[in-house]
Amino acid sequence: MSRSDQVSEHGSRTAKESGREGSVPRQRASSRSFLASELKQLFRRGRTQALLLALAAIPVMIAVVVRLSTAVPPGRGPAFLDRITQNGLFVGVTALIVAVPLFLPLTIGVVAGDTIAGEAGHGTLRYLLVAPAGRVRLLLVKYVGAVAFCVAAPLAVALAGAGIGAALFPVGPVTLLSGDVVQPGEALNRMLLIAAYQTVSLLGLSAIGLFLSTLTDVPVGAMAATIVLSVASQVLDQLPQLEWLHPWLFSHYWFGFADLLRQPIGWDSFTSNAMLQAGYIAVFGALAYGRFVSKDVLS
Amino acid sequence: MTPTWLRWMPAVAVPAVIAAGVLAGSVPASARDPLPGKTPAQVLAMIGQHTTKALSGTVEQTSELGLPDVPQVGPSSGPAAGSLAELLTGPHSARVYVDGPAKVRIQVMDRMAERDAVRQGNEVWLYNSKDNTATHLTLPGIASGKQDRGSRMPGSVATPEELAARMLEKVDVSTDVAVRGDVEVAGRAAYNLVLTPRSQGTLVESVAVAVDGENGLPLSVEVRARGQQEPAFRTAFSSLKLEAPDAAIFNFTPPPGASVKELALPSSGYAKRDLGQQGRETSGLGKDELGKLENDRKAPAAAGGAPSVTGTGWETVVGFPARANSAAAGAPSVDTLLNDPLLRQATVAVPGGRAISTSLLNVLLTDDGRMFVGSVPLERLQAAAAAR
Repeated sequence: MSRSDQVSEHGSRTAKESGREGSVPRQRASSRSFLASELKQLFRRGRTQALLLALAAIPVMIAVVVRLSTAVPPGRGPAFLDRITQNGLFVGVTALIVAVPLFLPLTIGVVAGDTIAGEAGHGTLRYLLVAPAGRVRLLLVKYVGAVAFCVAAPLAVALAGAGIGAALFPVGPVTLLSGDVVQPGEALNRMLLIAAYQTVSLLGLSAIGLFLSTLTDVPVGAMAATIVLSVASQVLDQLPQLEWLHPWLFSHYWFGFADLLRQPIGWDSFTSNAMLQAGYIAVFGALAYGRFVSKDVLS
Repeated sequence: MTPTWLRWMPAVAVPAVIAAGVLAGSVPASARDPLPGKTPAQVLAMIGQHTTKALSGTVEQTSELGLPDVPQVGPSSGPAAGSLAELLTGPHSARVYVDGPAKVRIQVMDRMAERDAVRQGNEVWLYNSKDNTATHLTLPGIASGKQDRGSRMPGSVATPEELAARMLEKVDVSTDVAVRGDVEVAGRAAYNLVLTPRSQGTLVESVAVAVDGENGLPLSVEVRARGQQEPAFRTAFSSLKLEAPDAAIFNFTPPPGASVKELALPSSGYAKRDLGQQGRETSGLGKDELGKLENDRKAPAAAGGAPSVTGTGWETVVGFPARANSAAAGAPSVDTLLNDPLLRQATVAVPGGRAISTSLLNVLLTDDGRMFVGSVPLERLQAAAAAR
């Protein structure tokens, strides 16, 4: 779908809605179709697909390299790298670990930074805002779009990893960190849990990206700022002098998903992570609201 | 049209609400009824009599001993996971499952890795996920006496229960014992038993043990060093359930692909000590700092009288002879210590040899291979070394 189609679709729909202010069910229905068209637009976009493909390439790269090289001594490289030859399912886990510090935040930064600023940069934002109540809804729809990408991105890594791992290596019972062994089905469940954990981990960053995106009409600026913040947060998390700050950094629990690979599963880090991300969503969502609702939209 | 300031209200209100929530959460729940008053002796007796057989919980341990920190950066599991000194730096958290004395599992939760110690009956397994190694050993006979403590496993983060028992052995004329105001640990009200050395010549300022007000289970141990704001060492339950854990937790078979080592136990009366020692050497797991503190009591007996002891109470200094002179197994030797990369890094050159200096314990390695250990200033160790 071309960009101009999108504009006219959004534009005409919002224009029609403005005449039906009183009718709540209709408005709800149109919100749903607004969301559907936003998601369709996001995932049909070449850039989004390229990002997901790049993420899926990480496990493929790891698997091929491990397949072609000699055995890795245990304890070197990313965790679990040495286990891949024994069990293909570890490709997905290793790739997820590798993707956490940079690749996932990078792609989220691109998508979340583009939400509002992208429309403004294309001059399509004002068409989306014809309806008086449209701003809050647009913000929500845009955030849900970013969340959908947060779901898709780790999932792409995990599934590509499981696929390529099964293709190149034997698949069998998986040894957890605790030394206990689980069947491949359970292991796949755990991997999906890790993907879910990372989705949650990225929600706060998405909210930050959304807020930054309301500040500017230059999408690249918002994207870059979001990515820089994700790196800065991880750097701060390494400084022992700032220990008091660590539990408040949105990247603090990014590696906590190791608890999902223990037996029994430890949910503590999942809960702390979810609460922290909820806090970031609330704060930056409120900031984005304040900024976006009081903003003069000229483009 | 709503005024602009109103639109920014949520952006102000949300952080305010979060801050209020955090503040409210950090204030200790003072609404709880105070525990009935007890004398130190009564609290001690509570520990002695506690009948808690089954529990599962999480133990958090923090150390500020002045050892160099192990940086944990990036996606790999920490470079020094499995080193002896690594357990003494930075925070650690471990899950503890106990069901009677013969069923114990301790999981030290490292970054992207885990160290396990599982005991079921007389079978003990040590597992390290980082290099996928398992060590198996069979305990001689039915465990009795002190081993009933259950949590007395080699090479793990010590449980509060274990540490308190060791600490309270030290209670004598050298120590002032008092019960201070109630504390709350893992959501349970607890007596705060504080031991303060009467001597000024030791590095230890005080040892505080939180004792569960209901069942006498030690919930936390905190050791403070002189002239240091932060506790030098603290281990405490952060969550605790007094129910029997799932029995499957205590089943352990080494995973396929793991390298399995069989560890033979010498069937001597010092089995427990040797076990700790060998566990440290072979599996790379470490006894904790306080375990070393304990050495000044136990070591002389174990190594057949070869080590020398000077001073009493908190000021005890233990000297170990050079390795060449002492065939006694189990005596910590300079070589063993220096094999540990982190400890090697931590040694500094001092007159008469090299020293490992922490806020609770000093170790002097003399040039002629002797070793002096004590919870005293370094000068005392040097004096002890020079005296012979």
